[in-house]
Amino acid sequence: MATQIVMDQTGDTRHEFDPGNAEALARAEQRFRELTGAGFTAAFRTGPGEVTRIRSFDPTVQETLFYPRLVGG
Amino acid sequence: MIAAVWLRAPARARLHALRELYRRFFGENTPDARGRRLLTEWLSPAQRAQFEQHRYFDVVGCDTGKTYRIHYGTAANVHEVDEAGIARMGWCFVPSGFLVPGDVMLAQKIALETDEKAALALANRFPPATHSEHFYRRPF
Repeated sequence: MATQIVMDQTGDTRHEFDPGNAEALARAEQRFRELTGAGFTAAFRTGPGEVTRIRSFDPTVQETLFYPRLVGG
Repeated sequence: MIAAVWLRAPARARLHALRELYRRFFGENTPDARGRRLLTEWLSPAQRAQFEQHRYFDVVGCDTGKTYRIHYGTAANVHEVDEAGIARMGWCFVPSGFLVPGDVMLAQKIALETDEKAALALANRFPPATHSEHFYRRPF
């Protein structure tokens, strides 16, 4: 199972999906597009503490984290 | 009398265990706790050790190689530090919305490690002495 983790006021919301299921994969890709379109940044871990950003949906990524648009505080 | 105490003790122990379980379950499922758990999962072992000991961790900016110290908090919690660990500049940038400290800190880490210039471009600077170390050392 792959997971999309979306930061929110509850801490985070997790969406799990089976990358081998075409329908679930399409929903995950749609979610990716909607979130990044709304200004969320997507990133995944490449090693312990190492992170890479992604700008397009990658079905091979096991865990994608989304955080909202950054603003000056 | 003794029998009554004997019979009651296990019930009391069970009740105590149940209360402890309830406290732990709900204590570990608050937004704050979830945010801290997510953060620690995504930190490097060195950052995790630093965070557990000091309630802050250091990250290296991907563009400049500068070191930033991210303190536990949701605003004005990022300091650029020199080789001696002395804060030289404060940078304030946060994810929009009302996120918990762990989430804010993780977003700041990812931003500085993957797109430092963009993060600093939108950040507001502040003098590093705005908050004392005591401010950042408040309990979770």
